[in-house]
Amino acid sequence: MTRHAPPRWLETLLQRCLPARDRETISGDLLEEYREVQLPRLGPLQADLWYLRQLLGFLAVKSFGGSTIRATLTWMSVITALAGVWLAVMENLLKHPGYPQRSAIAACIVIQGLATLLFLMWHGRATFRVIVLAGAVGAAVLGASAIIRDLNAPHFEGFVLLIGAALIVQGMMSLVVVGGARHGRAF
Amino acid sequence: MADLLGAFEQAVLLAVWNLAGQAYGRAVLRGTQSALDRQASAGAVYATLDRLEQKGLLISRIETGTAVRSGRARRYYQLTAVGVRALNESKTALEQLWGGAKWPLESKA
Repeated sequence: MTRHAPPRWLETLLQRCLPARDRETISGDLLEEYREVQLPRLGPLQADLWYLRQLLGFLAVKSFGGSTIRATLTWMSVITALAGVWLAVMENLLKHPGYPQRSAIAACIVIQGLATLLFLMWHGRATFRVIVLAGAVGAAVLGASAIIRDLNAPHFEGFVLLIGAALIVQGMMSLVVVGGARHGRAF
Repeated sequence: MADLLGAFEQAVLLAVWNLAGQAYGRAVLRGTQSALDRQASAGAVYATLDRLEQKGLLISRIETGTAVRSGRARRYYQLTAVGVRALNESKTALEQLWGGAKWPLESKA
């Protein structure tokens, strides 16, 4: 079957990122560009990737008013959530001693990253604020302890240092951005 | 003199101006990219349009969408008198700034 529109979930996600005033007009503009230019030129898969890029651009710029710190926090949240998924998968594949506990920690990292993203996307909805703030403290502490243990371990692992640093940065930024936000006015 | 416009804001406003009555989001995006001769993010252009409208440099109106966009409305932008004045002032300021310099500049080092 030939498809003539971006995947529904991408469109829904885009509309979630946009203020109510612009939902119809901007999603219409992107649909028009998708159908008239990107789909005929690139084919469905790459056209979908183009649409995803636009969505990420809106996530970083439109929803957050061009604020660099909020855009950076968005990307940090995506990176730490993906790192958490990767850690959980690797722990469950390798099954080294203590892997259930480390899998649980990885799951917490994913939840914290996703909660931060949801908070940013839903324009500072208060429901996620407490989760994000608690998670931010946890992420920063976890990142710091991972780095300290890595530096003292007999075999230094570079990826632990990277993920630890990402967790600290994301935790600190979440505290600044989300902690300073007021419900409904932050974004 | 009002605050000077940034280069990106000027490119967006000029795209709206050049498109006359046909300046809706997607057309403005293309016009801006063409003026800057580079890819501009859609998010950045829409955020700029929004900001310029809030500052009173643009006004917008909604019109019915076409079939290719599944009937979703289009938002058309138009420069206000304030917007035209801001563009003129920005150009004048730049010309004054460069007025005393011999172009192209040559290194004094």
